Order: sequence, then structure tokens, then C-alpha cells
Amino acid sequence: MSVVTISNLYKSFGDVEVLKSINDEFQDGEFVTLLGPSGCGKTTLLRIIAGFEKPTKGQVLIDGKVVSSEDVFVPPEHRNIGMVFQSYAVWPHMNVFENVAYPLKIKKVSKDIIKEKVDNVLKLVHLSQYAKRIPSQLSGGQQQRVALARALVAEPDLLLLDEPLSNLDAKLRESMRYEIKELTQRLGITVIFVTHDQVEAMTMSDRVLVINRGIIQQVGTPYEIYRNPANQFVSDFVGKVNFIKGKAHNGIVSLNLSHHKFPCNKDLEGDVVLAVRPESIKFVASENGNTIKGKIEKLYFIGEEVDCFVDIDGEIIRVSAPPEIYADLKQGQDIYIEIKDYLVYKDDGSDDHTKILT
Amino acid sequence: MVSSKTKETDTQKKIYFDIKWVFIFVIIGFLLVFQVLPLIYLIIRSFFPEGSFTLDGFKRIYSYPLNWTALKNTIISGGLASIFGVLIAFPLAWLVGRTNLYGKKIFRTIFVTTYMVPPYVGAMAWLRLLNPNVGTMNVFIKNLFGLTESPFNIYSIGGLVWVLTTFYYPYAFITISRAMEKMDPSLEEASRISGASPLKTLITITLPMMLPSIIAAGLLVFVAAASCYGIPSIVGAPGKIYTVTTRIIDYVHIGSQEGLTDATVLAVFLMALALIILYVSTVPIGKKQYITVGGKSTRPNIVDLGRWRVPITILVALFSLLIIIIPFMTIFTTSITVNMGKPLSLDNITFKYWETIFTRSSIISSAKNSLISGLLAATFGMIVSLVMAYLLKRTNIKGKGIPDFLITVGSGTPSVVIALSLIMTMSGKFKINIYNTMAILVISYMIKYMLMGMRTVVSALSQISPTLEEAGQISGANWLRRFKDIILPLILPSVVAGWFLIFMPSFYELTMSTLLYSAHTKTLGVELFTYQTYHSQQTASALASAILIFVIVVNWGMNKVTKGKFSI
Repeated sequence: MSVVTISNLYKSFGDVEVLKSINDEFQDGEFVTLLGPSGCGKTTLLRIIAGFEKPTKGQVLIDGKVVSSEDVFVPPEHRNIGMVFQSYAVWPHMNVFENVAYPLKIKKVSKDIIKEKVDNVLKLVHLSQYAKRIPSQLSGGQQQRVALARALVAEPDLLLLDEPLSNLDAKLRESMRYEIKELTQRLGITVIFVTHDQVEAMTMSDRVLVINRGIIQQVGTPYEIYRNPANQFVSDFVGKVNFIKGKAHNGIVSLNLSHHKFPCNKDLEGDVVLAVRPESIKFVASENGNTIKGKIEKLYFIGEEVDCFVDIDGEIIRVSAPPEIYADLKQGQDIYIEIKDYLVYKDDGSDDHTKILT
Repeated sequence: MVSSKTKETDTQKKIYFDIKWVFIFVIIGFLLVFQVLPLIYLIIRSFFPEGSFTLDGFKRIYSYPLNWTALKNTIISGGLASIFGVLIAFPLAWLVGRTNLYGKKIFRTIFVTTYMVPPYVGAMAWLRLLNPNVGTMNVFIKNLFGLTESPFNIYSIGGLVWVLTTFYYPYAFITISRAMEKMDPSLEEASRISGASPLKTLITITLPMMLPSIIAAGLLVFVAAASCYGIPSIVGAPGKIYTVTTRIIDYVHIGSQEGLTDATVLAVFLMALALIILYVSTVPIGKKQYITVGGKSTRPNIVDLGRWRVPITILVALFSLLIIIIPFMTIFTTSITVNMGKPLSLDNITFKYWETIFTRSSIISSAKNSLISGLLAATFGMIVSLVMAYLLKRTNIKGKGIPDFLITVGSGTPSVVIALSLIMTMSGKFKINIYNTMAILVISYMIKYMLMGMRTVVSALSQISPTLEEAGQISGANWLRRFKDIILPLILPSVVAGWFLIFMPSFYELTMSTLLYSAHTKTLGVELFTYQTYHSQQTASALASAILIFVIVVNWGMNKVTKGKFSI
């Protein structure tokens, strides 16, 4: 069980500031995900917690003890952490058993206990029959589980996972998601998980830290960050979203592309965007007071949904339609849509929606 | 009270002792004392021969004809050898690396193996082949074409250039081959798809892109040839053709104060020449080369030689025969010849020289000395190489590049200069007296050959992902432990290869040993050289053959042990 406290942390590589003013506390037994696009600083934050990088400013505390600060530095080998690397880092010159036993060997645990513990953890990750294999004889998924077993064998209080699923194929990735989640829950350890995949973040985490350009954009449960994103970036990064431009005045948003009005917070004034998720837009058969007229520009049948792109006076709106109506839709067809749910943000003026808190 | 105490332990500064620093300081200290300071002393002495500043030493080089000729000979023979070496090496590297030449692998091995052979062996062989009176090749050609005079005379500048070229072109071959392997083949493919023929592509794309490496290769050959002692002393001395290296060693052997000053000045000159060239060939060209190297290592496209395939293969085979097979065979036949004036026939064959080299106590003790000093140089050299390579590749410590730089400079410094600087400083003048000991030999070998070991380890280390080690660190292993459990087992083949790359040249070293040996520490190279020049060429040849066989066997064994990874 570990509590990790990060206070006022900064990290620069030369002139480039990769982490700015990071503050958070990861609780006992919590599964926290650091989510963000590549280059956002999430891996750097993880490596600072592990001790592979030193912060430029600020502190990292594990269970109230300073492990990294301006004048204290505890090297990784003294932090009692388990870690799974993106490339797995399974040692090619040792077999599965030797790889997994290594952390115990370092701790000078007796041979019998090593044997027992390694057997147990290999059972846990379903690798018991592969103990004598060398890594090159294993598939990617199996190597990944060797790395996981090695990270868990010494019963660390804190487990760090650096994009461990990104090199696996789609099916395996999905099953490993649940397997890792279940396993760590059972062991009750604190997990810090780094990923750029929002689905992984959603399905596995108790709490998600969305990071972009070295700054925490939002902290919340998967439900919160999806349903109530703090800004345009988070809204875009954790799912699909349409940003429809409009103007706010006196708590009312008027859209540029139609005469419809949408109520909003009275604090907002001027240029705003209406953030609408594709599944919050419905096709309706006939015109009524809330509908907007458009034309189906393109449509793709995906299986669980139909991904439609609707042209409304030159602006493209993405709509997720239920699969059963696929047969009724055609490209070029006129259609009416209705916005069921939305959020309003002050327009950050960027078209790629990546401009955010700085 | 209690709360304040816990607070204290919470923020307590624990210092984790880092053993890395001990290693760094020991190694830097070693290099400073035995390499940097002696070389600096040499430079200072050349300007202050009697304690006060004077350029007389440098003037004497110009005014004293013997020195001036030696300088000219060195530059001319080195320059020509480097031009011819590149002219030979580039087509060979291209044929072996990029075409469907027959027997590419065998040719490659043959060309690369020459690199491992002591250069004086070549000199001995060509001496026998192209002696103006009795040289076997001269006699053969004379009879073949009915000439009245021998066509070649080995005791000439031409002879010197010839032997230097045949023994140093492998340096260029290896450099150019490597650059060719690294070149992104899609650059050539783009030329082919644009409609250029293979030959046109070679001339307009490959050659210009390889130019930096070709220049670097040429400079490398020049420095090697200009710093060589074995070849000019065996081939040049009888013809009174002196070079800077032979002059320096003669002066040291004379031992007069004036001679020593001349030797110092010549040595400083040679060192400056070598180091400037080293700098020129690595710094700007090295950067340029970096751009042409693509990220992916794809299989190079192979050019079909078509109807030229057989004739070109025959040509390359004839070249190998002339430059490698015939000289090596000559050495061997010399070692079993009773009377060198007569042709080799059954009644002119003897194995007594072979018996001599395995029974004569002076030879055996020299072999033992060479073996021990080679072993020590290789072992200490690899320890230094391992630590330095690790620091260079795996840490961000400030100044980690300094030892690497020093090791590179050491290896680029001509052997004769290293030896001279050690003699001048390590004979008690500065409270260290290791002159006449084996230590001075081992140290000189380390300075000269450590780079080979280091480069091997560095390249092996570059191929190992740092996360493998980080995984060890997170498992709780400290620096030494990670090194022993993870890094070392993974780079072991390269460590073994690097060890031999230091051991082999140390084992048969001649130049530095000539200056640094004592009665108790005579080495194999010196022994062989003495036999060659004063006693019996047959005994020397037997010894050379034995060394050759040893080199080839070790090379072959290395290839097996390292699963073919071992290539120079």
C-alpha cells in the first residue's frame, strides 16, 4: 500500500519545459491513469516517480517520505516499486523463471521462497508452463506477462505501468486490460498507468489525470472526464466531439449556422463553442422546432454504430446513428438532426482543439 | 518530541554512495599520468631542450639533411600508400559489399584478416620476393620475359610504398565497407528508378555520398603508414631510405642528448601530423556522414555484374593471390629453406628453424613475455573500456566524454611517439621509474590499442535498450549488480572480441617494444626483428609463420565463439 504525493513538480530538458506545476496525491490501492497525447509529459512524470529522472523543481513523496526533491534523491533500486516497461524489457539472456526471480535474488531471499513466490506469480499471470522458456520463444503477450510477473513478484506497494498494452494486438489488448485491472485490484496495490489510449484509461482507472503540454488539464473519474470535460482539449481527447461555433449573450448561445438558441451559463459572453458528442445527436424523421436541416455527406457502417457526417450549410457535424437504421440512410439524403445534450466552452480559437490551459 | 523526530527522518538526506566516481577518477588519473602528461612533456621538451625556449630543434630538422629527407620520405611514402590504398579499397569494398561477385565472403575474410597480421611480416615476404638480386618474383619474371635485369627493387621508395600499400589498404577497406553498409539503399534505388544504370548510380550517387568516408579512409591509411616502423626499417634501412620513425628509433638507440632532442622534435612533428589528421577526419566528416546514414538498416540492393561477373572475380582472385597468398606462402617456404640462394627442392627443405623457435630459450622467454604483457594489456584495457563505454552510453555525467577523447587521442598517436614520451618521463625523472619493467610495455600497449576494445563495447552497448537495465534497477539491483547480471552477459561476445582486438596487436607489437624492452622483458616482435636483421631470416620466418597461424586460428575461433559477430 502506497500513497504517492507529487507537489509543485517541474521538469525541463534544457530549455524545454515538459512538466509544469504538477500536484496530486495517489491514494492507497488506487488505479490512476496518466492520459495524454504523445509528448505530453506523462511518461516523464512516471519516470520521475520511478526515479529514472530527477525533477527540476518540486518533490515526490512515497508514503510521506521524500524520494525526489532538490536535495534528496533515492535511486530507483531503493524505492521498492514494480514497473512494466513499454518494450517489456525482459532480459533475453535469462529464462522466464530467472527473469521473474531476479528482484527476489537481489533481496537475497532464500531459494525455496524464491521458487514458491515465482511459481505463485507465474500462476497468477498464466505462465506456469513457460517457466523454462527463454524470452525469444515467447509471443509479445507472453513477454508482457513475464514483465508483469517480474514487477509483482517482490510484492511492491506501487506498480508503474508504462504503456504496457500498446505493443499488443487489439484482441489481446482488450483481454489484458481486464486481466491487469482485476489482478491489481485483488492485490490491492497502488497502480500508476500511463497511456495515450482513452479507452484503456476509461475501462481501467479509478481516476484519470488528463495531461497535455506538461500541464494537468483535468483530474476525475472516467465518468467525469467523459461527461464533464474541463475544456475543449479534454473533451476532444477522451472521445469524439463536434465543436459548433456560436455566440453567448445573457445566458443564451446563438449558433452561427442556424437560428436555434441554447441556454448556457450566464458567465459566458462572446465567442463560444457548443461541444456535442456524436451520440448526443439524433436523426429525426420530420422537422420540428428543435431540428436542424442537413445533408448526409458520408456514412460508414462500423458495427455497433453508423458513423455519419452531416453537412449543415458547409459545416460538417459528426453523428453516431444506431446500426439498425443503416438501411434507411443514403449518401446525399436530406436529414433533420436534433441536439440532445451539449456543453458550452469559451472558444479557444483553435481549429485543432488542442489549445488549452497554459 | 515524537512528531519532530518523525519529521526529521522523513526529510533526512541519505547519501547513496556512487561507486561510478571511483572508477572514473582512477581511469582519468591513469590516462593523465601515463598518457597526457608524457605527451605534454614531449611537446614542452621540443621547445625547451635545455630549459630555455628555443626553436633550434625545429631548425635542425630543416638544416640537417638526414632529418629533412626522413620527413620527405615519410610524407611521400605515406601519401602514395594512402592514395593507392583507397584506389584499391574502394572497388574491392563495392564489389564485395554491393555486387554478386563470386566468393564474396571468402574475399572479405581474406582482406580483413590482413588487418590482423603484423606489418613486418609483409616486409619480410616482399624482401624475399623483390630483392634486386635473388628475389624469387624478380627471378621468375626475369626468366619469363627473358630480361637481363631484375624488374623490381624492393630497396627503394617504390618498394616501401608497395609494401605499405599492400599492408594498410585493409584499413581503408574496412572503413569504406562499413560506410557502405550503413548507407541507406533506397538512395541508390531512387537513382535506379529514375533511370540510371548501376554504373551510373555508382558514379553519381554512391561515390559522392561515400566521399567523406573515402577521405577518412585515405587519411587513416596515411597516418598508419607514416607511423609504421616495421616496414621502413626492414625494407628501407638496407636501401638507406630513412623515415621519421626509423630516425627517431635510431636517435634513441644512439642515446646522445642531441640525438634525443632531434628525436623529440621529430616525434612532436609526427604526433602533430597524426592528431591533426585524426581531428580533420573525424570531426567535420563524421558529422557529414551522419546525415547520409538512414535510420533503417535495410538489405542493400545487389548489383548484377552480368557478363563481367566471371572476369572480375578472376581479377579479384589474382589480386588476393598476389597481395596475400604469395607473401604468406613465401614466409612459410623461407622458414623451411636450407639455402636461400637455391630454389626450394626436397634436399633444400629443413624443419630445424621450426625446431629452433620452439626450443631456443630466448625465443620461448620472449614469447612468454609477449603473452603475459598482451594478456595484461587486454585485460586492463577491457576493464577500462567497459567502464568508459558504460559511462558514455548510459549516463549523463558531465565530462563523460573526456576519457573517450583521451583514449581516441592515445590510439591516434604514433606508437613511436608514445614509447618515446614514456621513456622520457617514466625513468625516474618524475618519481615514477618503470623503465625496464613489463609495466611500461603493458601501459604503452593499453594507450595504443585500448580504443579497439572500447569501440567494440560501445557499439554492443548501443544495441541494448536502456530499459533492460532500468528493469534491473527497479528490481532493486545497484549499479555493479546490474552490470554483472544484465549488461555483461548481453555484451559478452563483444567483450571477448574486444579483448582479442587489444591482445593480438599487443602480442606481436614491434615499434614500442623496440624502444621499451629490457633484457628481461624482450618481446616476440623484437626477437623476430633481431633474427630478421642480424641472425637468420629463416628463423624469423618460422617465427612469423607461427604468429600468422596463431592469428588466423584465434580469428577463426573468435568467429565461432561470437557466432560471426566478431568482425573488425
